[in-house]
Amino acid sequence: MLTISNLNMSYPGNESLATISWNIERGAQIALLGRSGTGKSTLLNTIIKGSSQIMNHSKRLAYFAQKPALLPWLSVVENVLLGFKLRGETINTHHSERAMELLSLVNLESLAHRKSSQLSGGQCTRIALARVLIEDADLILLDEPFASLDRSTRIQMSALCKKLLDHRTVILVTHDPRDAENWLEYAMVLADRKLKGPFKLSDFNSDSVLIDALGGGE
Amino acid sequence: MLQIRYNLIAFSLLIATWWGVVLLFEIPHFILPPPDRVFTTFYERFPQIVFHATTTASEILAGLALGTTLGFGTACLIGDSKRLQRVTMPFLIISQALPVFALAPILMLWLGYGFASKLAMTTLIVFFPVTAGTLAGFRALPQAWDSTFQTLRPKRGKLFWTVRLPLAIPYALSGVRIATSVAPIGAVVGEWIGSSSGLGYLMLHANGRGQTDLMFAALVALCLEALVIWSVVNRLSHRFDHHTPFTT
Repeated sequence: MLTISNLNMSYPGNESLATISWNIERGAQIALLGRSGTGKSTLLNTIIKGSSQIMNHSKRLAYFAQKPALLPWLSVVENVLLGFKLRGETINTHHSERAMELLSLVNLESLAHRKSSQLSGGQCTRIALARVLIEDADLILLDEPFASLDRSTRIQMSALCKKLLDHRTVILVTHDPRDAENWLEYAMVLADRKLKGPFKLSDFNSDSVLIDALGGGE
Repeated sequence: MLQIRYNLIAFSLLIATWWGVVLLFEIPHFILPPPDRVFTTFYERFPQIVFHATTTASEILAGLALGTTLGFGTACLIGDSKRLQRVTMPFLIISQALPVFALAPILMLWLGYGFASKLAMTTLIVFFPVTAGTLAGFRALPQAWDSTFQTLRPKRGKLFWTVRLPLAIPYALSGVRIATSVAPIGAVVGEWIGSSSGLGYLMLHANGRGQTDLMFAALVALCLEALVIWSVVNRLSHRFDHHTPFTT
């Protein structure tokens, strides 16, 4: 699905962040762990922008970030359908029904016509998940999507993602392996300018193992 | 309601201080007339004051409308291109940096002593705050949203109309509110330089004849007019300001 060969990530004028080679099979679901500033988000942004070192065989790519980019003047359902509007595609009954179906899956059907600015952080994250699902992407990049949520909402979101993102290729960037618990099995670790792994996520239940894997950071 | 009460308290304090200063320092009425003389003149010369206030109001409102249209239009034209913004920014800064007092004689020469020169001066004063406010709105799209929008594969025009323009509206309206508070300067300066009607003209006319009461009455009328116009624009702008950016 995605082959990254000797991708050298660096900020302009700065020293190298990391050099990465990584092959991700179709249908693989994996967490990418690392301390802040190791280049996890930069890697996702490079995949989105494209690079000669990246062979991306996905048909559609979706991105789900900590800040869900919801337009506060639009309703919940309009935010879910935003991609169609931005591409200038006609929104037909099928699209609207699918949006309502997805909102029902994320338990937001009753709030479909409410302005998104009136909703909580957890509800906004669920709208963003519905928007990712309606795009029907086969490669989904998640950049710390639950970072601003409380612990119980994180657990709910993790379970929801496991249920709804099944059979899709997923890369979940996080610095907290608990975001992926009960959902993903394996993780790669970006540390000391290298990509290490795969590790079993269950191994990181011990803090000392996790700290050892994450290394000294930047 | 609370705001009206605060306004009334502030207004009463101002009148009391004014009256106190006149009585305490025994200031002659041709230098600073007491409030009762000013309000009596205001009442007696009301039709004349209304006539001149109408002229000034029409200059302010027309300048506001034209300046807002031009400012918003300019920002929409250059808002999407950093290169265009770099090219036009010096002209925008100059339009603000040059005092309208300096331009007034030139505008009089070109446009005459009638309505057009006052309209041009008010438009010039309104133009910059609206342009700058709207441009700030176009720059308000959070960088963190870039990747999300990129994966939604938007058409450039659609991104402008669906996301960037609505996001810029509250900033543009903030610019309009600032412009409304300074718009009377353009109209009054224009009337001072040369006109046959308007509150600025009435003030100069009264000053030349030693009618300080009438000069102050015209000033009170100008203050009231500016307050009413600002309140109406403020209320209208809040009606269109349907969202607050960065709530999500």
